[in-house]
Amino acid sequence: MTSHDAPIAAGPQGDSLERDQNTLRSSFFLTNEFGLILLIVLFTVGFGAAASGFLSPFNLFTLGRTAAVNIMIGLSMMVVIVTGGLNLAVGAIGVSAAMFCGYLIEGLGLPWPIALLGGLALGAALGFVNGWTVVRTGLHSFIITLATMSIFFGVMIFLTRAESYRALPPVFASFGKMKILAYFSPLLIVTLIAALALSWLYRRTVLGREMLAAGARPEAAELSGIRVGRVFILCHMLSGVLAGIAALMLVARNGAAIPAMAGQLGQDWLLPAFLGPVLGGTLLQGGKASVLGTCLGAFLVTMLTSGLLLLQLGEFWIQSFLGLLLLLAVLVDKARRTYLARRNLA
Amino acid sequence: MTTATPLSRIVRTDWFGPLLVTIAATVLIGGFSPSFLSPLNIQVLLLAVAINALIAFSQMIIIAIGQMNLSVGAIGGLAAIAFAGMMEVWGLPAPVALVLALLIGIACGVLNGMLIAITGISAFVITLATLSIFKGINLGITRAQPFYGVPEGVKAFGTAVLIGPVPWLAVPTAVVAVALWFMLRRQPIGRFILAVGGNEHAAALSGISVRFTVVVAHAISGLLAALAGVLLVARLQLGQPSIGDDWLILSFAAPVIGGAVLAGGHVSVAATLLGVVIVAIITQALVLFSIDPFLVQVVLGALILLRWTRHRSSRRAASKNHSPASRRCAASRCRCCRAPSMRCSARTAPASRR
Repeated sequence: MTSHDAPIAAGPQGDSLERDQNTLRSSFFLTNEFGLILLIVLFTVGFGAAASGFLSPFNLFTLGRTAAVNIMIGLSMMVVIVTGGLNLAVGAIGVSAAMFCGYLIEGLGLPWPIALLGGLALGAALGFVNGWTVVRTGLHSFIITLATMSIFFGVMIFLTRAESYRALPPVFASFGKMKILAYFSPLLIVTLIAALALSWLYRRTVLGREMLAAGARPEAAELSGIRVGRVFILCHMLSGVLAGIAALMLVARNGAAIPAMAGQLGQDWLLPAFLGPVLGGTLLQGGKASVLGTCLGAFLVTMLTSGLLLLQLGEFWIQSFLGLLLLLAVLVDKARRTYLARRNLA
Repeated sequence: MTTATPLSRIVRTDWFGPLLVTIAATVLIGGFSPSFLSPLNIQVLLLAVAINALIAFSQMIIIAIGQMNLSVGAIGGLAAIAFAGMMEVWGLPAPVALVLALLIGIACGVLNGMLIAITGISAFVITLATLSIFKGINLGITRAQPFYGVPEGVKAFGTAVLIGPVPWLAVPTAVVAVALWFMLRRQPIGRFILAVGGNEHAAALSGISVRFTVVVAHAISGLLAALAGVLLVARLQLGQPSIGDDWLILSFAAPVIGGAVLAGGHVSVAATLLGVVIVAIITQALVLFSIDPFLVQVVLGALILLRWTRHRSSRRAASKNHSPASRRCAASRCRCCRAPSMRCSARTAPASRR
């Protein structure tokens, strides 16, 4: 099988990782998830005390709305990271799906539920293109998705003439503005459903287990009868659908489908897409996914951004803070792994 | 192999294919639209090539050690606004500002290299984080406002012409290209870089300091990115904070078109330069034939894919005799289809752990 010919980890690393995971299972307090919860609580208390408006219903509402989108972007990247690859095209796919949905409504006059499905179908189709190319050429997904990101976004801009779809049915905007119990956005519920579905997928279904197995060791998975290529393509399609959902949630928030909502080539999504999974302890080598961790990681990032904005520490420096956070997170994670490995050996 | 005639040796080099494509494209486009070969157009082409080549070299040197540097654009942008800002706000003379801006670029590169070499975390994650940090510093300093106060001397350099259609801006690029070629071919450090990219363990066992080599490669990458940023300031006549935002695809496209192996150990300065020229010619042709400029991105992406599919199929025969099981992380893996080093962040780890 040549689909993903790079074995994930050489012997020593693979063994220590498995040992890691065994230790992790025994003590919840050393997991990423626990650390993230601790940080979230700490920052909530800190921001609540320092910035007066942080715990106001309105701020919590907008925070939840932004977090919902960021978590979805993170999940969209996570399902591909599971295969040991990555998907730089999440932003481009998402925006393309949202614009296609806008076109179906405004250009073809389709009712919005069908248009939504159409948008998601395009997301899946673009994901399929990524997955199929990666599997068939056997190249790393970095270079493939770098190229397709450019292609998808270019075609989208070419077809839409960089114009937004603004005359969407009011149902989008009202869904984005809707408040549940004055605090929560229904977008959070969409994200919650997606996250639960993903955890169910990875824990309970054969397909999910096959994804994890194929990501951890493609050769071994192939030998045990898993059709690795097909599983990888499915992962990319899933990523496309999730990216489409994230973009459609943004459409609901903005009330319009805007080609620039993920920045040039969709690059603005890259950092949130990687922050969530990496903070949440998803291994970039593949084979391990933490849905809860990704959600917590993305939520922490959104909260930090919101809190720092409220504290008025200089809105332009926030990107630096997020970069530092990512750096710190991977360093701490590295230290934690080394510590665990050492303690195990001793 | 040993009985190669000079001609077949040339055919087998990396730069031969891109050179053919360049000549064919020039003849073809020049035939359809004579204004393509007008001095003005050639000057515009050379300006684009001059700056894009530096961006491509900056990424190429990291590809040579089998890593990737997502922060090329962020370093370039930071150096660019530092260059313009120091001249406008502090009133420093241009040469001093230039040196300081290049030093900032080197410092950024060294930071990348140190973090990667010491922690053994994949270059992808580290440079994604530093990309964000450098870009944030850029926005924090400029508050997203451009520096307009670029001195006349710098502006003049940006538009000056050396001889005929050759702009002065092409001179630093030419010097860098020759220096890089010399370094990778003749200097110990250049050979070290290629050795580390080819096989890190073998390089370490033959007495090369892998960490030092990685740091040096990243320092060079930072320097080149900074130089590209500074030259762009001279060309645009202002220090724009958005410089570098769109360098990512550009920086990978040219080395990949030039046949660089993403797994490391195999790059070619001439082929990368030709890759830049091809990209510039195609971009220019799209404009000349008034095809939608939005399609430039599509063409760039398609070029990357095309090059790699060809590369792959031409070496498929060679890779067939590698059984999957024998493709160990850093050892005897098929060279062309090996994943970039992020797939194998374990490559340094086992050595240091044992």
